Amino acid sequence: MCDLNEILKPILLHGHERAITQIKYNREGDLIFSAAKDNQPNVWYSLNGERLGSFKGHNGAVWCIDVNWDTTKVLTGSADNSCKLWDCETGKNLNTLDVKNAVRTCGFSYSGNLIMYSTDKTMGHPCEIHIFDVGDPGQMKSGEPCMIIPVAGPKITSAIWGPYEEYIIAGLESGEICHFDTKTGEKLNAVKEHSKQINDLQLSLDFSMLMSASKDTTAKLYDTTTLKHMKTYKTERPVNSAALSPLQEHVVLGGGQEAMEVTTTSTRVGKFDARFYHLIFEEEFGRVKGHFGPINSLAFHPDGKSYSSGGEDGYVRVHYFDPEYFDFRFEF
Amino acid sequence: MAADKGERESRRQKRSESSVDGQSKYGDEEPDFSDPEDFIDDVTDDELLGDLLKTKPKDTDSIDNVIIVDNIPVVGPERLPKLQNVVKKIYEKFGKIVNEFYPTADDDKTKGYLFIEYSNPQSAVDAVKSTNGYKLDKSHTFAVNLFSDYDKFENVKDDWEPPQPKPYKDLGNLRYWLQDPDCFDNYSVIYEGGEKTAIFQNTVHLSSVREPSLVEERARWTETYVRWSPQGTYLATLHQKGIALWGGPNFDQIMRFSHPGVQLIDFSPCERFMITFSPVPVKSEEPQSIVIFDIRTGQRKRGFNCEAQATWPIFKWSHDGKFFARLAPDTLSVYETNTFRLLDNKSLKIDGIRDFSWSPSDNYLAYWVPEENDIPARVTIISMPGRNEMCVRNLFNVADCRMHWQKNGDFLCVKVDRYSKAKKSEDTGQWKYSGIYYNFELFRIREKQIPVDKVECKENVLAFAWEPNGNKFAFIHGENPRISVSFYIVRPQGKVDSLKVFERRTANHLFWSPTGQFIVLAGLRNMNGVLEFIDTADMTVMNQTEHFMATDVEWDPTGRYVITGVSWWGHKVDNGYWLWSFQGRLLQKQQLDRFCQLLWRPRPPSLLASEEIKEIKKNLKKYSQRFEAQDRLRQSTVSTELLEKRRQLMLDFERYRQNKEDEFNDMKDRRIALRDGVDTDELDNLPDDEYDEEVVEFLLKVEEIILDEE
Repeated sequence: MCDLNEILKPILLHGHERAITQIKYNREGDLIFSAAKDNQPNVWYSLNGERLGSFKGHNGAVWCIDVNWDTTKVLTGSADNSCKLWDCETGKNLNTLDVKNAVRTCGFSYSGNLIMYSTDKTMGHPCEIHIFDVGDPGQMKSGEPCMIIPVAGPKITSAIWGPYEEYIIAGLESGEICHFDTKTGEKLNAVKEHSKQINDLQLSLDFSMLMSASKDTTAKLYDTTTLKHMKTYKTERPVNSAALSPLQEHVVLGGGQEAMEVTTTSTRVGKFDARFYHLIFEEEFGRVKGHFGPINSLAFHPDGKSYSSGGEDGYVRVHYFDPEYFDFRFEF
Repeated sequence: MAADKGERESRRQKRSESSVDGQSKYGDEEPDFSDPEDFIDDVTDDELLGDLLKTKPKDTDSIDNVIIVDNIPVVGPERLPKLQNVVKKIYEKFGKIVNEFYPTADDDKTKGYLFIEYSNPQSAVDAVKSTNGYKLDKSHTFAVNLFSDYDKFENVKDDWEPPQPKPYKDLGNLRYWLQDPDCFDNYSVIYEGGEKTAIFQNTVHLSSVREPSLVEERARWTETYVRWSPQGTYLATLHQKGIALWGGPNFDQIMRFSHPGVQLIDFSPCERFMITFSPVPVKSEEPQSIVIFDIRTGQRKRGFNCEAQATWPIFKWSHDGKFFARLAPDTLSVYETNTFRLLDNKSLKIDGIRDFSWSPSDNYLAYWVPEENDIPARVTIISMPGRNEMCVRNLFNVADCRMHWQKNGDFLCVKVDRYSKAKKSEDTGQWKYSGIYYNFELFRIREKQIPVDKVECKENVLAFAWEPNGNKFAFIHGENPRISVSFYIVRPQGKVDSLKVFERRTANHLFWSPTGQFIVLAGLRNMNGVLEFIDTADMTVMNQTEHFMATDVEWDPTGRYVITGVSWWGHKVDNGYWLWSFQGRLLQKQQLDRFCQLLWRPRPPSLLASEEIKEIKKNLKKYSQRFEAQDRLRQSTVSTELLEKRRQLMLDFERYRQNKEDEFNDMKDRRIALRDGVDTDELDNLPDDEYDEEVVEFLLKVEEIILDEE
């Protein structure tokens, strides 16, 4: 196992006052978008960690953030019962979609023409997926989605667009992962490999593989279309996020003891390290320490030469890999 | 109302009239009581005076009250009164004796039996129960029966058959696990908060993934915990209704023992008997709190009551399982397992006895009594069953004593807590000691007349442990954070020398390897699981490490491996166990959800004679070469296995990827269409002319230089 800590000197992005909830790179990887439990999502230069600007307007914790493929628009979902669309360059709020309860997940489709978000099941309102056509000003103004998919049973805790806008992949509180057809709203496909809630879903660069992170202390790899389970990566702590390297056959897992469950005995029991595993062999080969709270979100730079982590401690850490990382090979 | 009154008046009048009539009718004439001629008496005596008839004496009445005592000494008339006295003393306890009869032969000697009549049948039953088999002396063991049973025994039917012996049930080879060619040891694990119990084989050197191999796993195998018998033959599981023993290659049920509410269990070292304790009161004539079972027959051998608060094990076994003993106020009761009665029918009377302990190798027993009225406290070693005092040691200013036998029974260490001042508390009447210091009194059991050495320690002693199979001992002393660990050696025929003091250590437990020489100093629980592996041959620290929040340390029975565990019973997160080599090299980490308890399966004592063991030790080089070669071979197979496994995984994955890449390429047009004709598959394949030159300024540093005002 190599101690990646010695090698990497991270850039610390300190602009949030509270726990980071989600981070994302844009397609080129020059910008990092971060959402946190404070009300202001930020955008940063990934190269040097300088903050480019903030998106001001939410009145509650921001649970999710996404950017479209040409980095013109940004979408955020918040606990203030709204989902907001922003102009990326100016930071201007373009539309506010008011919902009946908190927005847990949101995302742009491949073309960027469609957006979706999912809502929490609270205060008598059901969990629903809403889909809008960004190009239709009527929809965006009235807040009337072009598609509503009601989700019965356990609520959605993580959701992303499937490849080519055909379906939405949702991870549920029960640990189940399923596809929802965007045209019919039908539940197409479902697997339950995890025993506890899904905290994060991410796709490989070519959309063929799906990575899930679960509270049951494991992350798993699936075939995206069939949802066939392929690999399992085991830890001892709830996994909050897991990302696939676009360059190497590596995955990175982040998580840690939940803040409310951290015992009073010692800070060491939390295990807030980012852990690197071999994609195929499922073997752990490196760890990166640094956060002093659980890692909530992880993202690889699209070129695979750096990655970022956002933690409960409010920091985003941008790590550039050292040459030794690229030299490291598993024998086989 | 008025009508009522009138009626009453008239009635009164009528009554007075009739009385006047009666007088006039019978006054002068005797009435005739005899029945008429044709009267038939249809009332039985029973109906008339049944209650009276019941008390009518019967011929057989006293039969139930009478017992026959056989095997009494045959004595002449001159010694008869003495015998009568002795017998009376024994039998008076059970009730009032109405009558006793000693039949005599022609020469006036007793015939060797007697009859005793009690005032009620219950006394007779009690007397039979308690004194049948009573040993009066070496040659006279009473055989006691109810007189009413006499007929039964005399008139045995001709066709009576002796009960058939139970067919022998072949349980298979209960020691099969010892025949493992690689001598891998087994251990039991309880996890998922007690839901699951599994037996693993420690195959850390075999498998490519360095995992133990599962032997058996069962859900809800036990309701509380499990325990191995001392030689590893049986696995005991505890249940609400009693105890089950499992063994053999498939862990079949060997025997079941009913004891409702059983909580604690202990085996005799020979694995023949099992003692169980249940706090659940059961209405029964026989004592039910503590029960001793015969493991092979499943028979209940004896029950005891548990009157006083005591620490388990209440009964302590001698090393060969011949005797077991328990403490009572001022008495030490030693029982033997032939009869399950008190050894020589009486307890040892030892005023003030506080604690005792059997030697692990001989039938010696050590006990201590505190000081009382200017008589010093003393530690005594006696041999059993003769009760001969082998050694007595007087001690002064003793607050407490703790006895530690070395595993081979070569040495006994009595840790004596001594005081400089003692004060009796006026409220509670208890002694309060101050200025406590510690002595280790070291008894050399194997040397002539048992010489005793003394080692003093001024500091608080936290733990003490003998080296098994050796002559060293270690103890932890001091106050946190100034804790030291001292090692001493007891030289044969020589002095007791200090070997080494390790200062400023984080340790609260000592774990010697079962074969000696190696020791693990552990700071468990509140000391966060700090571990230190020491070779005491040259006092080198082999490794200093930790298993964070470890609650348990368990050596395997051969002394090759150590397991440290974080039990869910002690700590709620990171439950699991780690396997170390005896040098402190971490071999394996095993995280298990709500892991509770891990126990190595013990091994029976070696069948090799001590000469044979010596022979092996002499030729160790020869053997170690062979084993090293084996290890090397194994190591290389491990790496080839692992590589082979990885290669296979890689192949499978590549096959999967091949299809996916083709699929991806097929969808290229669709991707371009969705993104307004832009190909975004590569990061930097935008046509050159689409690049906009842009100057981005980064603020690198802010520097403030204060210039002179001039």
